[in-house]
Amino acid sequence: MSRYLGDNFILPNLTPNNTPFFTEGTVQIQFCKDCNHAQHPPDDICYGCQGWNLEFRACEGTGTVESCALVHHPIHPALKDKIPYVIAIISVDGAPGCNVQGNVVHCEATSVKIGQKVKAVFEEAVDPATEQKLLIPQWEPIASE
Amino acid sequence: MHGQAVVVGVGESTYYKHGGSPDTEFQLACTAVQNAAKDAGLEMNQLDGLISYMDTRNSPLRMADALGFGEIKWSATPWAGGGNNSSATMHLADAAVSGGHADYVVAFRALAQGQFQRLGSGAGLMSGMAPEGLSWGLPYGLMTPAQECALQTNRWMHDHGVGQEALASISLACYANAQLNPRAVRHGRPLTREDYHESRWIVEPFHLFDCCMENDGAAAVIVTTPERAKDLPGKAVPIIATAQGKGPDIGINAFQERWFPNMYYGNVGKMIWERAGVKPADVDVLQLYENFTGPVLMALCEMGYCEPEEVEAFVADGALEGPDARLPFNTSGGNIAEAYIHGLEMVVEAVRQVRGESTCQTKDVELSLAVGGPGYAPGSAVLFGPAL
Repeated sequence: MSRYLGDNFILPNLTPNNTPFFTEGTVQIQFCKDCNHAQHPPDDICYGCQGWNLEFRACEGTGTVESCALVHHPIHPALKDKIPYVIAIISVDGAPGCNVQGNVVHCEATSVKIGQKVKAVFEEAVDPATEQKLLIPQWEPIASE
Repeated sequence: MHGQAVVVGVGESTYYKHGGSPDTEFQLACTAVQNAAKDAGLEMNQLDGLISYMDTRNSPLRMADALGFGEIKWSATPWAGGGNNSSATMHLADAAVSGGHADYVVAFRALAQGQFQRLGSGAGLMSGMAPEGLSWGLPYGLMTPAQECALQTNRWMHDHGVGQEALASISLACYANAQLNPRAVRHGRPLTREDYHESRWIVEPFHLFDCCMENDGAAAVIVTTPERAKDLPGKAVPIIATAQGKGPDIGINAFQERWFPNMYYGNVGKMIWERAGVKPADVDVLQLYENFTGPVLMALCEMGYCEPEEVEAFVADGALEGPDARLPFNTSGGNIAEAYIHGLEMVVEAVRQVRGESTCQTKDVELSLAVGGPGYAPGSAVLFGPAL
């Protein structure tokens, strides 16, 4: 799918710690293989047991809107024709304690509510330097009817 | 109570609208430090310590050489964030002089946002690729402290049933108090509740007037020991207690479940009240750094002033406005209406209240508290006691 804030909007600079999240096409969260602690953002050490035995696991791709906010002031020039847009904090099912940042797409920005169930969808983009394909996690409402 | 370090001088440059200063940022910084030394009755070559925060442009060594300091014995900056460390400057200055490491330590902060870029402009974030630490938010248009604090505030308001009028009360108090302060950038520009509600949204729940200004200016505070202060002409203002830090279960990665929503002031409050042996109601006048109004309310509650469910009533009906307010608050106008010198101007105002020199002077001030910026770790606070 095309990008919520425009196909030319800012992309993540890929690093070992953020590449799984932005390229796999699933919701990738870092887990500790020793103590099963889940953490986000990923880091070089487990915050639970201080081990280094970390891996990324695909979560089922659903979550809950923990908070959201409607943005009216376009900080970036590319956002001038995108306002108002909604930013959200999503708790990821299957990754206890882990909240990720994102947008809630495929709905009216003003309709997004705290507590709403959402599922992951992915924006396609290409890293201009490496030509690596990116799949950027986004979230859409789960129809509740 | 501690009281082994005292403030003996405060200084400021003129405060300007952002981009309005005819002077460079370094000239503003030097002016504030010179004014603080003059206020203290100190010669430049007596100063031997320097502290600032989030400042990569005005090196302490350049400052020391340029102004003719004596031997430098202390230079320090607190880690991480920005205005959250405004009161941590007093924590470090206190440690320096009460530990005998330096004699006269000056804390300063200077901003010239015409010469350099505005903090809230997202400047530096405009390139096509976000570095790892920012990559979790920037591709989603989550780019500014206003947006981060809005996400925190919305969830907190939702959980505790706090309404928009509570936010308005913070902004209105700052504007009301700034009308008494000729130094304030918003002096002569009163704000009504209607103006507040009609102002444009930046990011909900923040209207324009929920956000601090950005300004050009500088402030400085000089700290020494009570013994040295006896030889100086002015009133010395004791540092009764300081605190900076974060709780062991409060992480630095914002938005994670166990610390969301949070402003990093629970443990700072606990430390400052324990160290001073007082409680919130004992404090005569409060300066609480406003980056945005929502975080002010959250920090008030985390520090123990009231419960979140009570906060709307706690700040209502002019409870924070004027020198005789129920809780005299941000009496210079604060970051919202005096000037945004990254909160150090609020430490200056807290000192002024103890000296009896505020333009919105509360009667018989014995305890005056300045709290650093909420929402970013570490939090910080400094409590000043009766003048010597």
